[in-house]
Amino acid sequence: MGKIHELVQTMFPPDGSGLKPYEWMMNPTRQREWIDKKGIFLWLAFFFSEIGAGLYFVSLFYEYKAGLILGWLITLFLGGLIHVLYLGQPTRAWRMFMKPNTSELARGMWIIGAFAALGFLQIVTAGGFNMVFNTIMAILCLLIISHGFATMNVIKALPAWSSTMVLPLSVISGIWVGQQVLQLMAAVSGTAGFASGMEIWAEVFFFAYFLCLLLYVWGTWHASDIGKESIKNLTNEELLKISLIGVVGLGVVLPLILTLIMWGGDTNGFLIFLRLASVCAGDLAMRFVIMKSAVYKPLI
Amino acid sequence: MPRWGMVIDVKRCIACWGCTIACKEEHFLPPGVFFNRVLIGETGKFPSSSKLIYPILCNHCSEAACVEACPTGATYIREDGIVEVDDDKCVGCRACLVSCPYQQRTYYDQEVKDREYFPGQGKTQLELLGEKLYPFKVGTVIKCNFCSERLEDGMKKGLEPGKDEEATPACVTICPVNARVFGDLNDPDSEVNRLIMEKKGKQLRKEFGTEPAVYYID
Repeated sequence: MGKIHELVQTMFPPDGSGLKPYEWMMNPTRQREWIDKKGIFLWLAFFFSEIGAGLYFVSLFYEYKAGLILGWLITLFLGGLIHVLYLGQPTRAWRMFMKPNTSELARGMWIIGAFAALGFLQIVTAGGFNMVFNTIMAILCLLIISHGFATMNVIKALPAWSSTMVLPLSVISGIWVGQQVLQLMAAVSGTAGFASGMEIWAEVFFFAYFLCLLLYVWGTWHASDIGKESIKNLTNEELLKISLIGVVGLGVVLPLILTLIMWGGDTNGFLIFLRLASVCAGDLAMRFVIMKSAVYKPLI
Repeated sequence: MPRWGMVIDVKRCIACWGCTIACKEEHFLPPGVFFNRVLIGETGKFPSSSKLIYPILCNHCSEAACVEACPTGATYIREDGIVEVDDDKCVGCRACLVSCPYQQRTYYDQEVKDREYFPGQGKTQLELLGEKLYPFKVGTVIKCNFCSERLEDGMKKGLEPGKDEEATPACVTICPVNARVFGDLNDPDSEVNRLIMEKKGKQLRKEFGTEPAVYYID
């Protein structure tokens, strides 16, 4: 009896995430593969790829080698590795390199490969910060930052993911988090003036991120009925706390307060650290709820 | 070269779930995995409401979203229009599964493989036989293949898919009310084309632009 109960629980969990035969694709049905169970790896992989590439991108402008190294390592060893761990057949990951013309995922592998090779060269080469290298790496960074949401964006079946604002939101959030990591690195390395000088960009990227977030919600709500359902899901029982505390509280309100406190470049290490932690948590929450709330259109 | 397709008459369907069971039997599908489903809903408001019964399976789309999403080419469209998964190439990224607007794919992981029809009592001889006869690879995606094995074996014997039961998908042959018709969409004289033309066959969720090979008539 216990085993039967266990099986029923596995197939139809009480949280409603399982398939109920009478509801499946009759009502808006939530996507599960890219967030539930092992799908959580993908969420983390997208996040780490984004902050690593974001850090690398911002470091290029300041020619800050420590930032390049850390960004490169995060992107490849956290983002890349977790991506591979998500796969059902990780040992076959190389196959994705063989068909770059097929999909965003395959193209992403080439972009990450190019980023790994050229990034390594830039880091080890004495004159790595030249215009050509910087431009190529900046483009690769932007592609990697947006890669996670780009793979989601091409999925027309999920209007919440194919929303126009998904890519801008992804790019801005990546640069915003990367900028925050670099600012903290500058603050802890004793270059307070450098950290203070970066505050203007923190202000710019914070407001750009907030604007993108608002436009995403507004655009998806008005795009279609199913998009509207997805936005409504952000406030359902399961996601309400994450949306309010994570996305709004930690992703917007707390960073806004801290940004206002440090307005005009009056920065200090602790507040920068607090804002970075808050922004990371907010970014994770934002990605989580977007991935978790997306629903398919009913079939009949 | 034919392009295999199906016509389902939703007015004939009595929702007996015979197709669902025949499919599970044909492919030895574990508990909770379905290549064929029957959706039942309602439309309209009383007193002009009506019941909707839609048998659902992979649409074998000619502009398949799953094929476009596959990063390794594991999901591909055969010359005869059947969308298949090469489990030797599948990396288990599940991009196809997420992309499919019809949600007709299943990720086959260890948890699915370990499911028993009689939980706690071990797998039956039939389940064990099924794992040998119809082995799925753990960590890959599985789906309806229009019973391509039956089609191929049948055609080797000179049988005609859609007419001879041995060469026709199991869900079609089991249907007690002949709600399903299988045949060649490229043949203008085929039964499927006649039904599509005469009864104005509709594809499910045409707005996704996937060009399904399964048509519904009523």
